[in-house]
Amino acid sequence: MSGIYVYSDNFGLSAALLSLAAQSGEEVCAITLDQDQADELVNYGADRLLVLKGDSPRPESYAKVIAELLKKENAELFLVGSTARGRELAAKTAGYLDCGMVSDAASLVFEVGKIVTTRLMYGGSVVQTEIINSLTVVTVPVGKFEAAKNESKKGVISSLEVKADQRVNIIETSPIKKEGIDLAAADKVVCIGMGLDKPEDIQIAQDLAQVLGAEIGCTRGIAEERHWLPVQSYIGISGANVKPSLYISMGVSGQVQHVVGIRDSRIIAAVDSNDKAPIFKAADYGIVGDLYEIIPLLTEALRNA
Amino acid sequence: MAKIIACYKWVADEADLRINADMSVDLSKAKGKISDYDKNAIEAAVQVAKGTGDTAVTLTFGSGKAKQSLKDALSRGPAEGFWINSGSAEKADGAASSKVLAAAIKEMGDYKLILCAEGASDTFARQVGPGIAARLDIPCVSSATGFEVNGNTVTVSRKLEDCVEVVAADLPVVVCVLPEINQPPIPGLKAVLDAGKKPTRELRLEDLGLSETDLAAKTELQGFEAYVMNRKNVILSGDSAADKVKELVANLKKEGII
Repeated sequence: MSGIYVYSDNFGLSAALLSLAAQSGEEVCAITLDQDQADELVNYGADRLLVLKGDSPRPESYAKVIAELLKKENAELFLVGSTARGRELAAKTAGYLDCGMVSDAASLVFEVGKIVTTRLMYGGSVVQTEIINSLTVVTVPVGKFEAAKNESKKGVISSLEVKADQRVNIIETSPIKKEGIDLAAADKVVCIGMGLDKPEDIQIAQDLAQVLGAEIGCTRGIAEERHWLPVQSYIGISGANVKPSLYISMGVSGQVQHVVGIRDSRIIAAVDSNDKAPIFKAADYGIVGDLYEIIPLLTEALRNA
Repeated sequence: MAKIIACYKWVADEADLRINADMSVDLSKAKGKISDYDKNAIEAAVQVAKGTGDTAVTLTFGSGKAKQSLKDALSRGPAEGFWINSGSAEKADGAASSKVLAAAIKEMGDYKLILCAEGASDTFARQVGPGIAARLDIPCVSSATGFEVNGNTVTVSRKLEDCVEVVAADLPVVVCVLPEINQPPIPGLKAVLDAGKKPTRELRLEDLGLSETDLAAKTELQGFEAYVMNRKNVILSGDSAADKVKELVANLKKEGII
């Protein structure tokens, strides 16, 4: 077996995965659906860049084609960027190949004759370590690995005519209205949880956020059960992952599904009335107390700081 | 009337997970539950079947422990519950689960729509829906926030990173739903009582032409332990709220945050 194949519909992720794959010393092949992307990816560590020329704009529709290609090439690893399209493509490809798959690898290390991966389970409270020693599909989320340009190595571009799956067709696409929120990029995040009594009380979070220059996030319950904030505001599994320098929560109990989304924050501060709330185990600084008393005091103190 | 099949997984409730002193994970005291997001898939199946006049059924692959899930699943509205009973489910990876579910779907026959959640609340690997589609060689549409069946096609809205995409796919198809697709109601007493009278069917691996060796894990499991977040865990202990706030501000300054 030889050869690592890489695909992502996200350019930055493609570049990062190529740089990761190049650490293996194996031959690395980037798969793209787009000649322009291949041209831009030549200096990120790939030996080869293969442009699939097919009749569908949907990457997901190339799963069977890619599975056949990986089989023919006797590939040892298929690295896929974990975007919505990438995840579906990856899981279908693994299905067609009847091979193993590691979803959203938190780490991936090439060792002699094997690859060691870790991933988180149970909402981030358990880490599972797996050893790969046969063809496996691995998806990798954004931000885990960095792209490194290697000007001295230039990949060779070739193309291949293929037939995509024609059974799913795009009718229309419309950009998602972000409603001013970009939580993933926020440097500070104020997060509200179910400990808040009524929607008007979001004002106290907004006051704090304004003083800090923070974005407002929330738990899933606030967005999906109470509908107090748009779904783009919720943090955690199936919601946003944040990595601010400061995350500060009020009335957030800290269930694992939420905590998984804040893990990469530099400093986590929490205010909650329940001293046994799991959020305090995930926090650097905790205040046990009534958020309606604490938060306005904090806002005032920060304003004067 | 064709079948609209909602797949679900009976998982250990993560709230009952215990971490031992040596960082090993104890799931032995964890209660089971239908994976949270699978409730959305079941509700979606029930709702769409109402409109199309088809029959919503549920399908699960689980050990003997999953038997108790059937009544819970059926109390949510489907007409019949299918259960592949095998101890191998406890260790099944995405490949094994999708292989077994796909084989069962073939055995059940006459299906037009298969609904899965994006991922299970224990592993959240998001492999099984597309894996089933590949093994049945039928189309798959993931990240669905809404869908509509018209004749032989399904129109699905998908939430991607930067856009909403509407696609049309030929039936039969696997649709993987996001939690925002609906709000599954809590079953009422009558629904719970009725569920006990609904038919259930138990399948075995051998009924599906599969054996445990077909389901062997594809990767070698090396570790399964608690993930430790290195945090300071300082509870600010000032006498008054104002003191605590003062301490927090001082710490944030020390950390260079403000």
